[in-house]
Amino acid sequence: MGVGLLMLAGGVAAGLFGSLLGLGGGILIVPLLTIAFGLPLREAVGVSLICVIVTSGASAGVYLERHVANLRLGMTLELFTAIGALVGGLVAFRVSDRVLAGLFAVLLVYVAVTMLRRRDPAGAAEAPADAPAEPVRHPFGLPLDGPGYTVRNLGRGVAGSLGAGVVSALLGIGGGLVKVPVMHLVMGVPLRVATATSNLMIGVTASASAIIYLLRGGIDPFVAGPTAIGVFLGATVGSRTAHRIDLRILRVLFVVVLAWTAFEMARRALGAS
Amino acid sequence: MTAPSRDDLDRTIARLLTVGTYVSIALLVAGVAAMVAAGISPLDRAAGFDLRRVGSDLAALRPEGFLWLGLVVVIATPSARVAASLLGYARGGDRIMVLVSVLILAVIALSVVLGSGQAA
Repeated sequence: MGVGLLMLAGGVAAGLFGSLLGLGGGILIVPLLTIAFGLPLREAVGVSLICVIVTSGASAGVYLERHVANLRLGMTLELFTAIGALVGGLVAFRVSDRVLAGLFAVLLVYVAVTMLRRRDPAGAAEAPADAPAEPVRHPFGLPLDGPGYTVRNLGRGVAGSLGAGVVSALLGIGGGLVKVPVMHLVMGVPLRVATATSNLMIGVTASASAIIYLLRGGIDPFVAGPTAIGVFLGATVGSRTAHRIDLRILRVLFVVVLAWTAFEMARRALGAS
Repeated sequence: MTAPSRDDLDRTIARLLTVGTYVSIALLVAGVAAMVAAGISPLDRAAGFDLRRVGSDLAALRPEGFLWLGLVVVIATPSARVAASLLGYARGGDRIMVLVSVLILAVIALSVVLGSGQAA
């Protein structure tokens, strides 16, 4: 009972922080379950995949209803994130927890550095600049554009999506860290649309690998239940309060948490338990 | 038969995602409540997933029944979304997106097949 409550509360915190800072909860759930509750890393990843599907499902519905997410683009790219996730899910059962911990440590450092460099949540203003102006065409007759923007560089978008799928499946995250920059900076999709579309893609991506985790005994329902409920509650509250909170202090706190977690994960990778 | 507009499809899928999410959360809440009632800690080990046992677990009101069903709904909701898009695009005569939807479902089906096999 006590452990269940703690797990639920941990899930709430992960969902809350994640949604306040515009990250999925995945980046926090895996460290929470491994460091605080002693779960093997791969099992934590399986539970985390469930949590990211749940949190993305509710918000993806809202984005679609408001017509922010681009369904055609999302579905085209998620074909490739799903293929990446399928491969990643199979690979995850062939590598040791130590390798996964090492990869997770690298991810955490990357996120911490990204957080520190982010000046303002309104970074939305930055222009999708550095992509070469490839002539606009519709591969296979596929019109993916949305109101006010033209999608370009589909090939690079596909490559990025494959990579995002693999990372998602190995580390139990939604993969927005890869997909949003690829869509925004490389494919010329406005940040708001890229974020919403990435969120929509999480479900199919994470389910392609979650199926493998489920069928191979990588998901414990007694852990997944309380954690997923907690993350769902936290993310729901977070998405409704984010605009009322000064995120600067929270971001600094988050970077400290990420740095400490990266250190713990690196220790595991090096063999300390 | 009129082709559904892009907005209609967005709305239908949005509703499907929302309903799927709430149904799965309701099942997980029921499962966790049953865990508490049965004095099960999250750190106790559950038996592995077996679809054939979910029905009997549910009938016996065992926590595993609700939890596994909740997890299956979580995992199946995105595929249901793709299936709904497939129908919408098929009605609209959008053959490219029908193909994309079918391929996504094929990848999901492949992960069921490969996930069921033992890690060689």
